[in-house]
Amino acid sequence: MRRVLMMLVAVLVAPLVACASSATPSAAAALMVESPWVRTTTGAKDPSMTAAFLTVVNPGAADVRLVSADCADAGMVQIHEMVKSGDKMMMQEAKDGALVPAGGHLHLTPGGYHVMLMRLSREFAVGDSVNLTLHFSDGSSLPVTAPVKDFVEEEDHYHSPSPTPSS
Amino acid sequence: MTEQSSEPSGVDRRHLFGYAGAAGVGALAGFGGGRASAPAPSVPVAVTRQTYSPHDVHQAGIVTRTPAFTQLVSFRLLQPSVDSLQKLLKLWSGDIPPLMAGKPVPADPTPELAQAGVSLSVTVGLGPRVFSLPGLERKRPDGFVEIPAMQHDRLQERWNGGDVLAIVAADDATTVDYAARRLTRDAASFAEVAWVQSGSWRGVDASGAPVTGRNLFGQVDGSGNPAGELLDATVWATDPLPWFVGGTTLVVRRIEMDLDFWDRTTRERQEKVIGRRLDNGAPLTGQHETDALDLVATDADGRPVIPVDAHARRSHPDENDNRRIARRGVNYTHTEVVDGRPVTSAGLVFQSFQANIAQQFVPIQNRLDSGDALNDWTHAIGSAVFAIPGGFPEGDWIARALFE
Repeated sequence: MRRVLMMLVAVLVAPLVACASSATPSAAAALMVESPWVRTTTGAKDPSMTAAFLTVVNPGAADVRLVSADCADAGMVQIHEMVKSGDKMMMQEAKDGALVPAGGHLHLTPGGYHVMLMRLSREFAVGDSVNLTLHFSDGSSLPVTAPVKDFVEEEDHYHSPSPTPSS
Repeated sequence: MTEQSSEPSGVDRRHLFGYAGAAGVGALAGFGGGRASAPAPSVPVAVTRQTYSPHDVHQAGIVTRTPAFTQLVSFRLLQPSVDSLQKLLKLWSGDIPPLMAGKPVPADPTPELAQAGVSLSVTVGLGPRVFSLPGLERKRPDGFVEIPAMQHDRLQERWNGGDVLAIVAADDATTVDYAARRLTRDAASFAEVAWVQSGSWRGVDASGAPVTGRNLFGQVDGSGNPAGELLDATVWATDPLPWFVGGTTLVVRRIEMDLDFWDRTTRERQEKVIGRRLDNGAPLTGQHETDALDLVATDADGRPVIPVDAHARRSHPDENDNRRIARRGVNYTHTEVVDGRPVTSAGLVFQSFQANIAQQFVPIQNRLDSGDALNDWTHAIGSAVFAIPGGFPEGDWIARALFE
């Protein structure tokens, strides 16, 4: 985690120091990511997409929203949420992003919010690393290196193409 | 075998932790004078409800107290390659810090099982085959050898060897099972389980204070373990290759104990076999567990009070050119169905930590094999050796420098 923290410092301190720029550093300066991981595409029904999961910690005094993410290995990246439609859980883009409450956490977990990685340009095999960048509502960004892990829970929630919205 | 390094990274780290040269000094200065039982650690450390860090210079689970439950899981690499070994170690390095902190691992399907403050340690080791992988042939630690066949061995292949080891220990078996399963699951893409050995240890008295603990023969087991600087000198690799700074080597022996035969043995004979009293572990020449053995004392008939074949004598540093090991045992009872009937065996999952297997464990074991009275009751039925690297910094992964 120190590495993540140091990267975070590198990313966020720079605008702080050079604070004449437009960035408005806020409580987000202390945002941290814990336990990131990406589900393997090896053997997946649709290996062109997968999801990243992680926890964002916001020890600051102001709410922040995770609004978007980038991944060089993915042609399209969205923040997704699971919503109930009738008696079925459906996946859809979280248009307003996901709240990281002041003094709290945002958990991106299977069955909940996740970073949807689509149009993948390579296989994500177990043990690989995936680099992501998270973007927050206060203008800050956070680079994350996530290991690719196996996960055996049935995968329809994340890989079913049908409910994936077009952007 | 004598390859040594003076690269700055290794030197700096040794210097930082202040044990450069200690290994050589400890063996000579003041510790060779017939002290059988090193004193208990000067600062007593509680056994239960501890929190250990994987980020110290040494891994936890080596000289830390033995908690109630331990499970050793040995793995064989499916495709022996540097790449798959690296990926396995990276994934584990993402799992071990949260596990030891009592937090779920990434992608944890059973996150509620994570428990903080339960003395959980995960200790990772690398088997001999690792050092035949391309590029790693010259990274083998000094004296890291397999154990030669002993005449009293009754080895079974199912308890032998392995390429990668995880030792999981904690205050309760549920947490141990949970952590071991998470590590096994994350290893599954790269390695299959070779064997699993579980055991228990009672390292506290009724008040919860630390005690040495007893094996299933009822013997106080581990009284002679080195402590303090002598422990450091015994265990940690001396002038290691840079990747092995803070490392040690481990011999795992599954020692089957013939409890039925032991039960039929008179108490007097039992005490002479070990050379120690059963009630408190004191040498037969002393009063207290930590008293030094008097190896020259004789009884009224002129016979040694501690018999010439007593285990405590045969394994004593004075009779082994000052060679020592640090032992860490856990008791096992194993029931399996044979020909339709339950058959129970019992013994000790014996873990020996030392800087150098060839110079420490092997000569001592040879001497025990040739004349330890305990051999009538015990046999090794499994044997494995592992190189145990040092701890890893936060955000890093274990043994990374092995691949540089």
